Amino acid sequence: MTTAADRPRHVGARVERIEDTRLLSGGARYIDDIRLARMLHLRFVRAEMAHARILGIDIGALGDLQHPTRVFTGADIGGLAIKAHQDVPEFQYSEQPLLARDRVRFVGEPVAAVLADDPYIAEDAAELVFVDYDPLEVVASMEAALDPASPPLFDGWNGNVFVERQMKGGDIERARAAAAHIIRRTYSTHRQAGVPMEGRGVVARYDPADRFLTVWSSTQIPHLVRTYIAEELGFPEQRLRVVAPDVGGGFGVKGQVFSEEVLVAWLALETGRPVKWIEDRREHLLASIHARDHRHTLEAYVAADGRILGLKADISVDVGAYSTFPFTAAGDPGMAAKVMPGPYDFQHYEATFRALATNKCPIGTYRGVGRPSAVFAQERLMDDIADELGIDPIELRLRNVVRVFPYTNALGFTYDPGSYAECLEKARELLADDIAEAASLRGHPERRVGVGIACFIEQSAHGTPDFTRRRVPIETGYIAARVAMTPDGGAVVDIGLQSHGQGHETVMAQVAADALGIAPGDVHVRHGDTLTTPYSVGTWGSRGGPLGGGAVHVAASEIAEKLRAIAAHLLQASEREITLGGGRAFVTAAPDRHIPIARLTRAALRNVDRLPKGMAPGLEAQCSLDGPRDGTYSNAVHAAVVEIELATAKMRLKRFIAVEDCGRILNPLVVDGQVRGGIVQGIGSAMFEQFVYDEECQPRTVTFADYLLPLAPEIPTIEVHHIETPTPLTPLGAKGLGEGGAIGPAAAIANAVADALEVPVSSTPLNADALWRLINR
Amino acid sequence: MIEITLVVNGDRRSLRVEARRLLADVLREEFDLAGVHIGCAQGSCGCCTVHVDGVPRLSCLTFAVQCDGKSVRTVEDIGGPAAEHALQQAFRRAHALQCGYCTPGFIMTLAPFVEAMATENRLPDENEIRDAMSGNICRCTGYQGIVEAVRQAIAERIGTGAPA
Repeated sequence: MTTAADRPRHVGARVERIEDTRLLSGGARYIDDIRLARMLHLRFVRAEMAHARILGIDIGALGDLQHPTRVFTGADIGGLAIKAHQDVPEFQYSEQPLLARDRVRFVGEPVAAVLADDPYIAEDAAELVFVDYDPLEVVASMEAALDPASPPLFDGWNGNVFVERQMKGGDIERARAAAAHIIRRTYSTHRQAGVPMEGRGVVARYDPADRFLTVWSSTQIPHLVRTYIAEELGFPEQRLRVVAPDVGGGFGVKGQVFSEEVLVAWLALETGRPVKWIEDRREHLLASIHARDHRHTLEAYVAADGRILGLKADISVDVGAYSTFPFTAAGDPGMAAKVMPGPYDFQHYEATFRALATNKCPIGTYRGVGRPSAVFAQERLMDDIADELGIDPIELRLRNVVRVFPYTNALGFTYDPGSYAECLEKARELLADDIAEAASLRGHPERRVGVGIACFIEQSAHGTPDFTRRRVPIETGYIAARVAMTPDGGAVVDIGLQSHGQGHETVMAQVAADALGIAPGDVHVRHGDTLTTPYSVGTWGSRGGPLGGGAVHVAASEIAEKLRAIAAHLLQASEREITLGGGRAFVTAAPDRHIPIARLTRAALRNVDRLPKGMAPGLEAQCSLDGPRDGTYSNAVHAAVVEIELATAKMRLKRFIAVEDCGRILNPLVVDGQVRGGIVQGIGSAMFEQFVYDEECQPRTVTFADYLLPLAPEIPTIEVHHIETPTPLTPLGAKGLGEGGAIGPAAAIANAVADALEVPVSSTPLNADALWRLINR
Repeated sequence: MIEITLVVNGDRRSLRVEARRLLADVLREEFDLAGVHIGCAQGSCGCCTVHVDGVPRLSCLTFAVQCDGKSVRTVEDIGGPAAEHALQQAFRRAHALQCGYCTPGFIMTLAPFVEAMATENRLPDENEIRDAMSGNICRCTGYQGIVEAVRQAIAERIGTGAPA
């Protein structure tokens, strides 16, 4: 009988996920499933005004409850804050207090923390706390933030610009002078939220017996949370453990250190009792982090044949009231400016980018970070250029995409090999019938069909140099993995990633299994716990596969070498002759001469007298793998086919196609899932999800009745096609792919709408209201 | 406080609860059933779906006292610790879950749908399957794996005629 262990190679195979059984059976344990004796439940009193002074906080009514409660306010917590400083001279520094001290700056900001034995009582109590506000003028828009007459959000600030900087390469004036066409457009993407189905939550417990503090958090970055809490509270980091249990989705939203994480830890120390806070959905939408909300003005310098000579960009992002940790207020605008050259070959580029402070929830990381907005602008611009020059949009892109690799762009970033032109050609072939149908319905009185594409690259798995350049509070981009074999022939992989749905337990087991010659089922992968895993940056920036997988591969390969040496000794062969596979070590040319791997591990760990003379006992190895200097560059073409009913402005997504290249595919099941899931989030960005503030920055979309997520009936089958161009820059040839799916859809759908209606489209969302206005403009 | 009796996954128990206590909280806290997940507490996401007397219900919009004397079933009872129900197995094959947070809700919504289709001996088309899922939100999978899992589970039940 063939077992999984006999399969020649697990990497690249469609291996079903190891983690699924507990997730399907109710056996998983998420943050709210942690219950501790004597635990206090925390409920926040959150700001109801967008900008106001706090005149007083009255807790007198709590006496009516007849239950013991405790209330903490900004006055109780000293200077504790989230401090996220970009270390450049232009940056205006600010801090986000864990609880507002004398002033609130967005609706939802925590003002007081109420503790009770029961979560229902804590909620009752929070409603009885009365906060007296003196309203201040609200800074509600990018225009207001740029207006010198607006009040600064922070004392001592000069206006409401967190930071404004430039990036440039080549000679933009030369490109302008040589251009046959200058095309200038402004594009904007709206504000939205990330919305994992499990909200955030934190539990903390201090044990005075061993002076040990444990913090459980629904986070993607347990090591960074540990370091931040230790530094901010002055608590010894070696006695601090941060655990991310099963995490119900993150998408970058949980890739921040939040004020609640630090505060709950502090409250556990202060009260001497375990403290638990579970975010509700309203809190999540109001006050976790938001995303997108960009406005880009682009000016392209184009030759007569459609070749782009240069690009000038002006990028503004409404980043809300505070700088977030670790990527700061500069994260989104900086990323957008950096990636704007995209997959196209031109050597003259200049971008001015700024982060604007307003009285809104802070902007943080959400799947794609800056890139969905940049690609929306870049790819709408390509269609606008094509339209102006009368060139087919795919043809225009084919004339401009990078074809010779490695390629160094105008900013000096080097792209590893990709398949930009091949993906475009493939998409064109797949869309032929739709393009014909769209053409046949031009001017149709009732319905139109449009085809739109977006061609993009995704910088992923970026390494340490990328972060030192940015001068943000996190300076590293590595992932560490430790592999240790057990005497019974199995292996434990401890990895500094955290899984929130990506299937790390399976993919890392596949990688280790291949190197060690055992079955994935015999590998136990541990993650998300600072006590058991080596220090790393955590899961973000699409680094799990390329760097996490790479680190496991390198560490496991080191052990495999030792296994081969032991096998050679026991089989009386040379090391070079030994192959590991199917749970055995065998002489490659004579497979009958074999020995079970369990015998080798037993020799290395228990019967060390059987080892070659002088060999040290043990089978353990660790690898810290940093990302390449400029990262790896995955590429894709997304294509949308839409059908619009003119009378009702109803739009149906007829087809959505992705032709993508993420380098070596480690597990096609997982890759397709990541691509499809990301695309549907991108479809949400384009058509459904919008976080709306009124002119006083009062939120109007704080439930799922107002903040619309895509549901199954609105989503077509997502057609995914792969081209595999392995990168030489990571051990397994894999590039990152976690974010790519979410990057292209807004651009592809907007281009399809523009094609269908023959009107320019300059902003998202493309909901029924926006379509109605486009039809009737 | 009101005394009620619930039969949860076959286990009959009497307990005293406040009138306002939600079924979801009682199942999670009193019965230790961590498979009941709360995603929105507003009845929009379907994560907290359980069966009350055999019918899918949102346990975050149901008070425990409304279920006095009734029978409640959660995902823990559908296919056991090994997740052996045909729909759970199809979820695994079709990669119909990623973070798993919405998954118990989908299973509880869709298991009766699979059963109903099998009883009718009918394989629904994709739109019907997507409509059956329209009360549940998944943020990870893009729904495609779930549609495929439902199709597979129904096809298998029709093919074999095996009992649920």
